[in-house]
Amino acid sequence: MIAIEGVSKRFDAARDRRHLALNDVTLSVAEGEFVSILGPSGCGKSTLLYIVGGFVEPTAGRVLVKDVPVRGPGPDRGPVFQEFALFPWKTVLGNVMYGLQQGGVPRAEALARSRELLTMVRLSAYENFYPKELSGGMKQRVAIARTLAYRPNILLMDEPFGALDAHTRTGLQNDLLHIWDKDRKTVLFVTHSVEEAVFLSDRVVMMSSAPGRIKQIFDIDLPRPRSRAELLLDRRFQDYVVEIEKMFDDTAQQAPA
Amino acid sequence: MTRLTSIPGLPPLLACLGILVVWELLARWYGLNGLPPASQALPQIPHILSDKESLIDMGESLRRMAIGYGLALLIAVPIGLWMGRSRYAAAFFNPLMMVIYPVPKAALMPIIMLWLGVGDASKTLVIFLGVTLPLIYHSYQGSRAVEEKLLWSASAMGLGGFARLWRVVLPAALPEILVGCKTGLVLALITMVTSEMIARQAGIGNIVFVSLDLGAYDTVYAMIVIIGMLGILFDVGFEVLRRRLVGWADSPHTIMVGSA
Amino acid sequence: MNAVRQWSERLIGAVPIIGLLALWQAIAMSGLAPPALLPTPGVVFARFFQQLGSPAFLDHAAVTLYRLFAGFMIAVVMGVTLGIAAVGSRAFAAIVTPVVRVLAPVPKIALYPALTLTLGYDDASKIALVIADAMFPILLATYQGASAVEPKLAWSARAAGVSPVRTLFTVVLPAAMPSVLTGARIGLIISCIVVFLAEMITSTDGLGHLLMRAARNFQTVDMFVPLIAISMLGLMLNALFNLVRRRLLRGFPEEK
Ligand SMILES: Nc1ncnc2c1ncn2[C@@H]1O[C@H](COP(=O)(O)OP(=O)(O)OP(=O)(O)O)[C@@H](O)[C@H]1O
Ligand SMILES: [Mg+2]
Repeated sequence: MIAIEGVSKRFDAARDRRHLALNDVTLSVAEGEFVSILGPSGCGKSTLLYIVGGFVEPTAGRVLVKDVPVRGPGPDRGPVFQEFALFPWKTVLGNVMYGLQQGGVPRAEALARSRELLTMVRLSAYENFYPKELSGGMKQRVAIARTLAYRPNILLMDEPFGALDAHTRTGLQNDLLHIWDKDRKTVLFVTHSVEEAVFLSDRVVMMSSAPGRIKQIFDIDLPRPRSRAELLLDRRFQDYVVEIEKMFDDTAQQAPA
Repeated sequence: MTRLTSIPGLPPLLACLGILVVWELLARWYGLNGLPPASQALPQIPHILSDKESLIDMGESLRRMAIGYGLALLIAVPIGLWMGRSRYAAAFFNPLMMVIYPVPKAALMPIIMLWLGVGDASKTLVIFLGVTLPLIYHSYQGSRAVEEKLLWSASAMGLGGFARLWRVVLPAALPEILVGCKTGLVLALITMVTSEMIARQAGIGNIVFVSLDLGAYDTVYAMIVIIGMLGILFDVGFEVLRRRLVGWADSPHTIMVGSA
Repeated sequence: MNAVRQWSERLIGAVPIIGLLALWQAIAMSGLAPPALLPTPGVVFARFFQQLGSPAFLDHAAVTLYRLFAGFMIAVVMGVTLGIAAVGSRAFAAIVTPVVRVLAPVPKIALYPALTLTLGYDDASKIALVIADAMFPILLATYQGASAVEPKLAWSARAAGVSPVRTLFTVVLPAAMPSVLTGARIGLIISCIVVFLAEMITSTDGLGHLLMRAARNFQTVDMFVPLIAISMLGLMLNALFNLVRRRLLRGFPEEK
């Protein structure tokens, strides 16, 4: 589904300050697979996601989606940003409907589909609220609904739950898995939390920093559908978390500042 | 391409050249009596600048402008700083400023002339009035944005009210104040030209209209270019000064406020 | 508590305005200045309200308002379009930026004689002057606001399959709206000022012309009336502007 082939990204802040954010990253993600990316801060996780999204061009290498090279953003890949990036001048409903309306979907249909999505993320009572009137967790759910609205085959999620408190976060993880279980989209999911990565993913990719590259890939062999309460007691789940966390610590220590 | 545009000063020069070319072409195509081509108007500039009388006239204009601007600085900046630090001072001055903002200060010229005559005093006063408001406004914004914690630590060091304003608020608000000063400088020029156009008695603005009445259109356009160059010169000069003084603060949002 | 504070602030704000009027009244009554030079505020305001009922005066005010509005509106459209286009296209920005840098600090009023020569002494030259003066702050504010828009907002639209140009107008422009409106407010005040001045310099109608006509005939009271009128006009337009602004910025976080 997604093939990342030898992708490198260099930022030229100034002639004398060049920064290699990604170095020769190769990764392929199968259709319907849920892959998490873990790594120390600044190792290039967001940059990698942006490159797959087509928002940022790689310095070298390429990304193929369904065997077609990525040339720019497209509705087959839906991003969900850590900063929500909701349109502040539109209501919740307006945000979700935006892509559909611009895409020429008839108003009635767009409205119906948006309302359906808002019900799914449990926000139907808030459709006329502006983003500034919502809590962080609610905003993130709107952002997810807005992206799901145009039915992307691939979701690119950049620490979508990073800014939320632990309780909201686990709630949203359950919601996400629930939504995902319905149509099994391909998901590339960046996170800082090992537990979150293990809980959600089929595979966990560990990156190391400066320059960012893939250090190791873990297969998470846990049954689905997953329930948090059961998994927390599951020995295999605990082993995965401990193992990956240990590797994470080592990686972070090696990272130069 | 990128190499060329990264040479400082080159793009604006090219822009000037482009504007002149457009002017020249427009004048040639339309052949309007009231629009001489640039190639006819520009040669007038050295004539004007070597004419003793018009030089004296312009010198006088600039002198009045300097005095009006200087006085405004002395009065407006302290008021603005004070407003930023005291809600009562702000509540006191703000409505008054709102009422007088839309009044064109140069429009007061006829009334002030009635009182003070057509001499220096009227023109200087009008320039003073024209510059004061934006200066107050920017100083106010700058001082309002000064971090509370800076002042706390200043108080902790035992600085009194005035000392805090002078030693802490002023330097911290300086970048924004300088934006106001720059705006004010261009405004002073505008007010000066306008009031002279209205009073029709002496100065740069008057030269323009005298030539207009005489039908010396080349001179009119040459004067317009000279005034424009003055505006650009002040702007660039001040920007250099600003960089020297507050190079540490990145160039803030400068939205030019034209006209008075 | 808050209401009390608000009212006390309003009262404080009224002090200098009333004080100024009182000072004016005192000087006029003290005989320091003869009424021919300084009429009392009572006389001036009485004349102002009397004029509000005079069709001739209202015609002049309407002419001024028309020029102001026409110029301002065109300036908004041009400023916003150019500003957004400069953000959208690098090539366009490379041309526009230096031209703006050269033209912005030029005192536009100096162009007025040239405008009268090419466009005549009627509405067109005055509207053109208003455009020249009001456009730059709007253009700069739009450009700065639009370049500061969080790229992820635009990315979100592009990912939904929206074209770059549409993204510019449906996402970047609304996102830059607070800044655009700041520029537009400055442009509005400038428009107010500039029409009046242009009418004072050469005109046969409008509020500025009324002031000059009164000055020529030494009718001091009538000199004050257009000034009060333009100040009131400015306040009214500002209030109107705030209404529009509040509607447009409903979803944005409060300032300060
Ligand atoms: N636009 C840019 N210009 C210059 N350098 C950049 C830019 N964007 C990212 N970088 C650099 O690239 C590196 C990777 O950034 P990126 O945001 O991808 O990291 P990250 O892994 O997502 O970090 P975090 O976990 O903190 O979000 C960083 O060192 C950063 O400084
Ligand atoms: Mg990141």
